[in-house]
Amino acid sequence: MTTFVPPARHLLKAKDLADARYFEQLDVEDLAHAAGLSRAHFSREFRAAFGESPHSYLLTRRMERAAALLRTTDRSVADVCFSVGLQSVGSFTSSFKRTYGVTPTAYRAAYPPAAASAMVPGCIARFFGRPRHNSTNEEDSPSAEA
Amino acid sequence: MMRIANAQVWVHNQDEALAFYTDKLGMEVRSDVTLPEMGDFRWLTVGPPGQEDFGIVLMAIPGAPVMDEQTGAEVRNLMSKGFAGTVFLTTDNVQGDYEELKGRGVEFTDDPEERPYGVDCGFRDPSGNSFRLTQVNEAVVNQR
Repeated sequence: MTTFVPPARHLLKAKDLADARYFEQLDVEDLAHAAGLSRAHFSREFRAAFGESPHSYLLTRRMERAAALLRTTDRSVADVCFSVGLQSVGSFTSSFKRTYGVTPTAYRAAYPPAAASAMVPGCIARFFGRPRHNSTNEEDSPSAEA
Repeated sequence: MMRIANAQVWVHNQDEALAFYTDKLGMEVRSDVTLPEMGDFRWLTVGPPGQEDFGIVLMAIPGAPVMDEQTGAEVRNLMSKGFAGTVFLTTDNVQGDYEELKGRGVEFTDDPEERPYGVDCGFRDPSGNSFRLTQVNEAVVNQR
């Protein structure tokens, strides 16, 4: 006996794929394939079910992650672009500006540096921040024995 | 009230670990900063989408003078033997996740099996750290 599966369940597979694998070179064709529909039919059905086009859904997921990476990492804009599955820094910058109203660089500049929000604990700062022992040469100096 | 913010695992190589935790496990980068004032120490954390307030710190094993050579070797040895600790994950679809992760080349140490508390499987990260992935049987847990 075949169990009836509502059509939206197939569309949800495509939506989940966009959310989970946005960092790969996914496009609407891949999402349509995941839903088992032709591209044109898929785009219409996706918009009807979720209120936006699959292209827009995938892009906004990428923009959301790119914004987070700009706030929380010190990676370059190009690296952020590639990290969210996009290949062209120019297109990325345009999409980002359309989404957030500012360029990625300006967006980052409006927030404190990522290092300021990194929860590097004091014990680590003490370990890694102390000068290298041999840089002081104190043990070699006569006063070290005093 | 205390909450767990981050927990640390040692990794042999941060870039390799980052690729594994994001590309294969599907986690997101929470923080990735390199601090020149701390000898280019890299604070790198990842976490599961939807659980924004918890991160796993992917910590490189430091060299001397932060960690002496012998201690570093001991840590590496423990990791390679699988005794450096375990991260316990839960999921609502253990069989589906198992198949998906296996398809991405994740090295499983235990296939899904019924346990008193649910269905459980286990895998390792590239550094040898142990992970359990469990679909908890809510009915059993709620009896407590």
